[in-house]
Amino acid sequence: MITDGANSIPHHRRQTEPSQIEPIITSTTPRVLTILSSVLEKLVARNDQLQQCHHHHRSGKKSLKAFDGIRAPSISIPKYLERIYKYTNCSPSCFVVGYVYIDRLVHKNPDSLVISLNIHRLLVTSVMLASKMLDDVHYNNAFFARVGGVSNAELNKLELELLFLLDFGVVVSSKVFESYCQHLEREMFRNGGSTTTYPVSISPSAITPHGNNTCDDDSADLPSEDLHASDS
Amino acid sequence: MAMAAPNQLNISEPPTWGSRTVDCFEKLEQIGEGTYGQVYMAREIRTGEIVALKKIRMDNEREGFPITAIREIKILKKLHHENVIQLKEIVTSPGPEKDEQGRPDGNKYKGGIYMVFEYMDHDLTGLADRPGMRFSVPQIKCYMRQLLTGLHYCHVNQVLHRDIKGSNLLIDNEGNLKLADFGLARSFSNDHNANLTNRVITLWYRPPELLLGATKYGPAVDMWSVGCIFAELLHGKPIFPGKDEPEQLNKIFELCGSPDENNWPGVSKIPWYNNFKPTRPLRRRLREVFRHFDHHALELLERMLTLDPSQRISAKDALDAEYFWTDPLPCDPKSLPKYESSHEFQTKKKRQQQRQHEETAKRQKLQQHARLPPHQQSGQGHPQMRPGPNPPAHGSQNQVVGGPSHHYGKPRGPSGGPGRYPQGGNPSAGYNHPNRGQGGGGYGSGPYPPQGRGAPYGSSNMPGPGPRGGGGGNYGAGGPNFPHGGQYGASGAGRGSNMMSGNRNQQYNWQQ
Repeated sequence: MITDGANSIPHHRRQTEPSQIEPIITSTTPRVLTILSSVLEKLVARNDQLQQCHHHHRSGKKSLKAFDGIRAPSISIPKYLERIYKYTNCSPSCFVVGYVYIDRLVHKNPDSLVISLNIHRLLVTSVMLASKMLDDVHYNNAFFARVGGVSNAELNKLELELLFLLDFGVVVSSKVFESYCQHLEREMFRNGGSTTTYPVSISPSAITPHGNNTCDDDSADLPSEDLHASDS
Repeated sequence: MAMAAPNQLNISEPPTWGSRTVDCFEKLEQIGEGTYGQVYMAREIRTGEIVALKKIRMDNEREGFPITAIREIKILKKLHHENVIQLKEIVTSPGPEKDEQGRPDGNKYKGGIYMVFEYMDHDLTGLADRPGMRFSVPQIKCYMRQLLTGLHYCHVNQVLHRDIKGSNLLIDNEGNLKLADFGLARSFSNDHNANLTNRVITLWYRPPELLLGATKYGPAVDMWSVGCIFAELLHGKPIFPGKDEPEQLNKIFELCGSPDENNWPGVSKIPWYNNFKPTRPLRRRLREVFRHFDHHALELLERMLTLDPSQRISAKDALDAEYFWTDPLPCDPKSLPKYESSHEFQTKKKRQQQRQHEETAKRQKLQQHARLPPHQQSGQGHPQMRPGPNPPAHGSQNQVVGGPSHHYGKPRGPSGGPGRYPQGGNPSAGYNHPNRGQGGGGYGSGPYPPQGRGAPYGSSNMPGPGPRGGGGGNYGAGGPNFPHGGQYGASGAGRGSNMMSGNRNQQYNWQQ
């Protein structure tokens, strides 16, 4: 049903990519974004292959189908995460908690795979929900939709989908939070993706109100992104 | 496996919520109406069980699913206690929207989301406001003990309720009392390091530390509210009916004395202390004003209405107070009288109209007696309005008595349902509790209004710098817990917006 909705939105290539404005991974990028990007990219690559090999058909009443796009968005996962971080100014912890939500989803729906068709929508929805839960000051759905390149209505629908798929289990205790941080850290080392040894720059204490940005979408300088646009 | 991730971190549970639609229920009667949407009494078709359906309104597209609703749901999900309202399920309602071809668009969420609660017959304020109602001492002890037990459970589970008041304490006809409306609640950590908003708790029940602008606080805030309710039950009417923050603090200081570094170490460092400091010190008059209270009751009240939150009694200690362990003991909930069953909604309309006439006449006569104090052991002669349900100390009769069971069970204008829950509108003048109608209705009188349900900051009585940030005023629906600009500014649409019209204040006088 979501793919139908996607059809109705006209495809048009946007002029400005954030990448053309400034380098994507800046020195201020929290390390968790780098790690998360790397972990997710590997996962998606592997699952995409699995999907092809097995013509994996996702059935069952509940699935991640709502998060599917028609084709994979052109923006890469690291760029997309960076974009969310940069424009929504949410706490780095939101990305860990967002990851926890995605992980909970796939465990509740073992038939569903996180693939390149759904990863972007999963990310923007789960990070937004995490930001709603964690940050006392946060942007509204309308703003997250613009940052994420989906319509407000679609993001609202995805938010509800996510809440129901999670059974409203949106609480992440600091213990669980910590273990996910450690897990991400281990993944990084296992994949040899990083030579640095300092710890992930987030901790449960990072779950505190972040920033004092205003919260309406005064986003004149927000470059457009559209998940429905594609390269091919 | 879908994702390489730590399996052991997931505690899975059957995904049941949201899998059913509201069609599984037959709506019987609308029992509440507010800015947030409607509350219905309904019957589950399969089991015949009576429930309350609370609709979560989602018409503010920009905000998405209301954060207050997410908070309430996630908190109620983890609380399971006989004195805490049980959220049974969440159901969806298929929307009426059609796609271009006129088929239903399959978006089950557009029609709405309902929270399904166990059904409760009354709330404490409504019960107390019934004409002629006088609670017996064992009855008050019974309610207070249940309130404290439920609250202790919340606090042990690190949940602050942050909106304890009579209309959020639901009571069924078995005499059980349950905490409801967790729309303002939040989890807290014991280190008290988080900065929390002080714009919580209905004004009359708000503790001095919040009124003085504290942003680090804990379970003691709820205990102040409990103290206010306790005193109200004993006194027969609200004890601090302030119409705005300064007046609220003044009323508190007049009764409890003014705070200083001696009775409340650290008070001078609370943000707005200097703005609100009384010009001359006031002494504590609690014992004097309430000298007619039972000794143990007064003892407990003293410890609940302690200015310094760190010295205020905890729910656990309050349960151990002599008051609950001396004669007359708290009664068994089941021994309490059954009040008019709300299920008799078909006959209620008629009764309501009849009552309307009676009450108007009565109210004109008895303006000074909004609510009767309870029986006192001292046997003080309070005139009784009419022979009401006055069970003896250990009474066990289950009489059914007439009269409205809800404080807002008054005629509410043309919509006319025999509602026991508040409508959004203002209660008419001359009403016993003009300030309360708005906030009532424990199933959630307004947890999700589009404007948030901030405290009554309507008239900018706030001292010092306002909430930080000057940002866009239309962010309102983000909920009351976000201390940024606009939210608490001019919009009086929160639950306390009606506070300004309190006309009972002139009746109220400590110096009588």
